Amino acid sequence: MKRTLRRSTLILIFTLAFIGGIGFFTAELIFGAKDWVDQPYNAHISGSGGLEQAGKILDRNGNVLAQTVNGERVYNSDPSVRQALLHTVGDNSLNISTAVQSKYRSLLTGYSLIWGLNMPQSMRSSHDITLTVDASACKAAYDVLSGMGKRGACVVYNYKTGEVICSVSTYGYDPQAPPEINESNEAQYDGVYLDNVVSSTYTPGSIFKIVTAAAAIENIPDLFERTWYCTGGEEIGGHPITCVETHYEINFEQAMEQSCNYVFASLAVELGSEKMNATAEKMGINMSFHFDDISTPKGHYNTTNATENDLAWSGSGQYDDKVNPMQMAIICGAIGNGGKGTCPTYIKSGSGDILKEIGVKSSQSYDLVNPATAATLDGVMPKYEFGGMSVHAKTGTAEVGDEKQPNGWFVGYSVNEDAPLAFACVVEDSGFGNQYARPVAEAAMAASAQAIRGY
Amino acid sequence: MFDMSVIFDAGVVGLRILMPLYAIVIVYQCYAAMRRRRRPEKPLVSLYNPNSGGMIPVVFWENSIGRSKSSDIMINDPTVSKNHCVLLRRSAGWFVSDVGSTAGTYVNGTRVRGRTKVLIDDMIRVGKTEYQLKRGDDFNSPLRGDRFFSKVSDKPAIQAWKLMLMITLFHLFMAVEAMFWNDGTNVYAPLVLFGALAVVEWGFFSVSYFALRRLNFELEALGLFLTGIGVLLLVRQVERSAYVQLIAAVLGIALYCVIIKFIEDPDRSDKIRFPVMIVAVLMLLSSIVLGRVTNGAANWVYIGSISFQPSELVKTIFIFIGASALDKLQTKRNLIEFIIFSVVCVGLLALMSDFGAALIFFVTFLLVVFMRSGDIKTVLLPVGSVIGAFVLFRFLAERINFIGDRFNYVFNRFKAYRHVWEYANEAAGYQQVRVLTYIASGGLFGVGLGNGYFKQYFASESDLVFALLAEEMGVIVAIVAALAVALLMIYARAIATRSRSTFYSISSCCAAGLLVVQLSLNIFGATDILPLTGVTFPFISSGGSSLISCWGLLAFIKAADERTYSMKR
Repeated sequence: MKRTLRRSTLILIFTLAFIGGIGFFTAELIFGAKDWVDQPYNAHISGSGGLEQAGKILDRNGNVLAQTVNGERVYNSDPSVRQALLHTVGDNSLNISTAVQSKYRSLLTGYSLIWGLNMPQSMRSSHDITLTVDASACKAAYDVLSGMGKRGACVVYNYKTGEVICSVSTYGYDPQAPPEINESNEAQYDGVYLDNVVSSTYTPGSIFKIVTAAAAIENIPDLFERTWYCTGGEEIGGHPITCVETHYEINFEQAMEQSCNYVFASLAVELGSEKMNATAEKMGINMSFHFDDISTPKGHYNTTNATENDLAWSGSGQYDDKVNPMQMAIICGAIGNGGKGTCPTYIKSGSGDILKEIGVKSSQSYDLVNPATAATLDGVMPKYEFGGMSVHAKTGTAEVGDEKQPNGWFVGYSVNEDAPLAFACVVEDSGFGNQYARPVAEAAMAASAQAIRGY
Repeated sequence: MFDMSVIFDAGVVGLRILMPLYAIVIVYQCYAAMRRRRRPEKPLVSLYNPNSGGMIPVVFWENSIGRSKSSDIMINDPTVSKNHCVLLRRSAGWFVSDVGSTAGTYVNGTRVRGRTKVLIDDMIRVGKTEYQLKRGDDFNSPLRGDRFFSKVSDKPAIQAWKLMLMITLFHLFMAVEAMFWNDGTNVYAPLVLFGALAVVEWGFFSVSYFALRRLNFELEALGLFLTGIGVLLLVRQVERSAYVQLIAAVLGIALYCVIIKFIEDPDRSDKIRFPVMIVAVLMLLSSIVLGRVTNGAANWVYIGSISFQPSELVKTIFIFIGASALDKLQTKRNLIEFIIFSVVCVGLLALMSDFGAALIFFVTFLLVVFMRSGDIKTVLLPVGSVIGAFVLFRFLAERINFIGDRFNYVFNRFKAYRHVWEYANEAAGYQQVRVLTYIASGGLFGVGLGNGYFKQYFASESDLVFALLAEEMGVIVAIVAALAVALLMIYARAIATRSRSTFYSISSCCAAGLLVVQLSLNIFGATDILPLTGVTFPFISSGGSSLISCWGLLAFIKAADERTYSMKR
């Protein structure tokens, strides 16, 4: 009998392992429950479920972007503001997965580990969330962007504090009256549930010359003494590299200013695949940025298997290069900020992240550019003046093939101390960045500067 | 103006907080009661050594005697074999049985062949050592008690009827919650079901108390508590299933009583092993011949409108076959018979593609083999071969596309294991992420019985019932229910040396082990802590065959408690 007892220890170990497993599950539940709950299939919160008692969503100035009145979810009274902030705030559905009302649905509805999603209505404490965005800046940017009738994105953020001031994405719709998307109108709403600012990647075109320039500054000592001769169309690696216009004799600064493809193609080939990849990697092109429970999609730069001509084109953001608008804003912000890319955030307060609320968790930053390189790069960035700011920025016109018009780009940052803003704007299937993206970005920057300066 | 709904809500919230605490109290009371009312820690008989004058207490019903340190009665004499003989108690008295010793065992000078009766004052010679059988009272020094039974007392911790009342009240609360959360149709259906449940509960209690005159009812109370939760969970899902489940409970309880009666004599159990094995194999064969494929596994047999899973019932037989009395344990033939039987069972289950059941059988097989032989090698060899076979299968499955859907399903699970969120809308992770979401949505106290959404999902009442329970009753109740089952092992172990035969202690430990393994697969498979699912939560999952087999297993644990047979009211 003693032997039987001793041998039963094996089964006791099974039981103890089971109890250990329950402990492990409990720990997983405590740490994961908040994320487990916010799922589009969760019938407790889908539809307008849960929003009957949800808290308010406010912009940085306390303007109500969404609130519940008599059990109904009501959005901002200005239709233009509503549409501009659709992708940031979200609608009653959970379709836009990166929107605050999707990401923080359980928080807004008063979810807690203890009560789950079923605290009785009368005893539930709803929760307000204040965003960093400025309603009027978003409206200004959205009005111009939606006027183009194209899909696109525009984001402006403070590269010192990380606060996103303006973030808009098209196509959009009115969250107060969401459309029934069917076969007849699906073209009009193609990709409407994606926030292009944080969820889409695009071919960068000439804005990628910023990365090529950084690589050249770091690796070619006599860069600024050199000149090139652009004929408007040269062959590299047996295939042509074309320029929009003929630049004749040109130096590096002029090449940046006039966006000469030939110079950047030559530089990319001279630097070689390894150095180009290293710089792209360092500047975070192949990286995903994480903030507010959002992860941006990774961009793409890899010329390991590229031909010489592909490598040449990759220096001007063609080949199979891809970038994300938020990522470009962070990189531009890093150049303006002496090399440090500040992590953006949409949430001013009420995220439920206790560390952040009490100010222990300062905003994260990434070392994307060497400080010396950043300073040199800052010097050669093309200069603009608008919105009462000195802006260093780069246009881009990315060929995408498929009989589509190019993606127009405009990315950069202001150097004014009182408005340290970085931005990225893209308009799909449009044309020259200067013509399509720039007006959107100028409107967004001007309104954002006004929002943080107060005049 | 004061909002009256606040008072109402406060009441609902209060009830909801009360339920988990109440569940904890009930489970605690069940286990506390198990510790009481046992015979005092006294030797049954004692062995007097006339040469040395020493006295050895004999505390177990079956005692191995030998030179080995792990013997119950260790004799330090080189002429004694490591495992020499067994001294055992039966209703007819005390017996001694030689288990292949070199020097032989003698009673009053006659060499023992088979079991030989020994009377008080008889001389037993083992090797060169001689003992005289004396009464237990002749041994005077105190014995060391064990921890689980430290509070030995004649008074029960709680009167059985009071415990039953608590449990019935818990079920009533559940029914009231289910009445509250509905769409206005069948408001009183939960109450009707509760009435039927209460009749079953108290009917069983009365039979046990008045007809069988049993003193203890805690184990049954625990089983009823869990069964009742399972029945009531169904009332707002598929009401008809709730009644099917209740009928299964009655059948299960009947099986419980039959098994306890059937194995009353451990030696008779040994004689009918072979016919029972044949019955088990025939039952499994019947599901292959008559079985219809349901959800990928051909483990259901339909007779008219009644369907059942023979594999569930074979579990009970499996435990029965696995255990034997101590003197029979020593002979190898028994073990080989069991191994052949196990291989046939697991093979038939694999043919049916019932991998969940096959896995449970396999683990139980290992437990039984280890409990019988204590040899880790006999255990490691089959484990190694099964893992090897699985790896080979996986290797083949990736290269040749001959493997069926059911296999793909199993491999899918491995693919998504610990990455379920990446497969949220694919078969590989669909169930697990929903399980996690709805468990978290329920919070600690649940959304109320019938008020959840998880019940709409396939298998929510069976394989995924942990999530259903957690969402509607709260995660505390779900975990308490799980622990109530898991702790049966602690109890089974505590009574292991007080059983009337190793037949009981082995079968009860293995039955408890089987329940724990099944519980682990059910909960951890659904919550992505283990990569397997497809088994039921003991006592709670909907499924008649499963419930019946759980009660069958519980019978082995009850039978292992010597009080079941020896003490009457």
